[in-house]
Amino acid sequence: MSRYGSRKGFDLEWIERWARCVNEDRILPVIGRFFNNRFVLGVDETEFLIEVRGGKIARISEGLTPNDLGFDFALRAPSSAWAKFSQQIPPPMFNDIWAMAHPLHKQLTIDGNQLPFWQNMRALTRMLSLMRQV
Amino acid sequence: MNQHDPIVGRYVYVTCQGKTYRTYYEETGEGIPMVCLHTAGTDGRQYRHQMCDPDMAANFRMIAFDMPWHGKSIPPADWYQMEDEYKLTTSFYGEFIVAFCRALELKKPVVMGQSMGGNICLHLALKYEQEFSALIALEACDHSPGWWIYPLHHPHIHGGEAVATSVFGLMSPESPDEYRWETWWYYAQGGPGIFKGDLYFYSVDSDFRDQVHKISGRLPIYFLTGEYDFACTPEMTERTAEKVKGSECVIFSGGHFPTSEDPAKFKDVITPVLKKIVQNDPERRGQGRAMPALQGQAQSAGRPSARRVIELG
Repeated sequence: MSRYGSRKGFDLEWIERWARCVNEDRILPVIGRFFNNRFVLGVDETEFLIEVRGGKIARISEGLTPNDLGFDFALRAPSSAWAKFSQQIPPPMFNDIWAMAHPLHKQLTIDGNQLPFWQNMRALTRMLSLMRQV
Repeated sequence: MNQHDPIVGRYVYVTCQGKTYRTYYEETGEGIPMVCLHTAGTDGRQYRHQMCDPDMAANFRMIAFDMPWHGKSIPPADWYQMEDEYKLTTSFYGEFIVAFCRALELKKPVVMGQSMGGNICLHLALKYEQEFSALIALEACDHSPGWWIYPLHHPHIHGGEAVATSVFGLMSPESPDEYRWETWWYYAQGGPGIFKGDLYFYSVDSDFRDQVHKISGRLPIYFLTGEYDFACTPEMTERTAEKVKGSECVIFSGGHFPTSEDPAKFKDVITPVLKKIVQNDPERRGQGRAMPALQGQAQSAGRPSARRVIELG
């Protein structure tokens, strides 16, 4: 194992474990009180739809269907990038979604309506950081 | 018994480009004057740990001022009539630093700046070389694009939370939580649009790529960048330092806000640089004490032939 920890595999079961960590968190219901959006977490070619209500994850699903009627925004990155991001001590340039999304690095794309993304960025950032506890 | 920091704050009136600015500054120590420049959208509190460090205060008169519109320095009186949004320009930033130093009657001070305060050091070296005795450019490079964006000042977005969160990941995950979140707090306290306006300088108005080779090399310049800095990466600093004559470059295992996110690590990293500055300026150093021996494994700040990483764990 490197200084930064081991890699992780990402499937719906992993996403569920992460979502349960999110929902046990005691800070997110406060800082995410008004976070009510649906976003896509893209891992390689797989898209997980994450439905957030009041800062908690109410529903996760694998793949998008017409019945979803779309989503608000999407964060997509290769599994290799998410694996580094979710290590206990992520390596440089992978410790933050902005580090990965910065035009200089281009590991993560942010698509869709970026207004709710920016409006809820503090809660979203904490939510994603809990991947390090899965 | 009450406990106080040794820092003392005052206001000085600084005239720059036709307007006079009531400017807040803090200072401690005695010896070589050192003017400390804060990052975009924040204020001089970022240097509070260094200003309370007896080893630094024994050799340097450290002064940290808040730029106009920042911290306790108010905007110009007619700011509400401005027909354009706030934008920091290279010319104003450079002229203001020089005007501030003259207002305090500082003779050839050292300037230490981080992020935008580091980038402006290149302009100072190009245009005001005679005014300073050394430059310490933290997290600096000759071009740092991509940060002048609308979401950082938008009525539907909480500016404080969004601005602070957008820079949080620039810090090392191994920096102490207490100080990382204190840095977040500084950012959350900035005025509306000020962080974004500063980034006009940082990302738009300060492309020095075609100029830095003109720096004479007579003024010592020290570049120090943390490996977690994704806005000014170690490679960007190294590429810049290679073009700047007379410069030295140190890459260390920290982030974009070394003075505030991990002051203990920063002390180990900066001490060799401060020792060199003291050695080069023996007449003016304070009489208090010699600079301390290093605590960790930090190496001296000699010109590197390849990337150097200092492990201080």
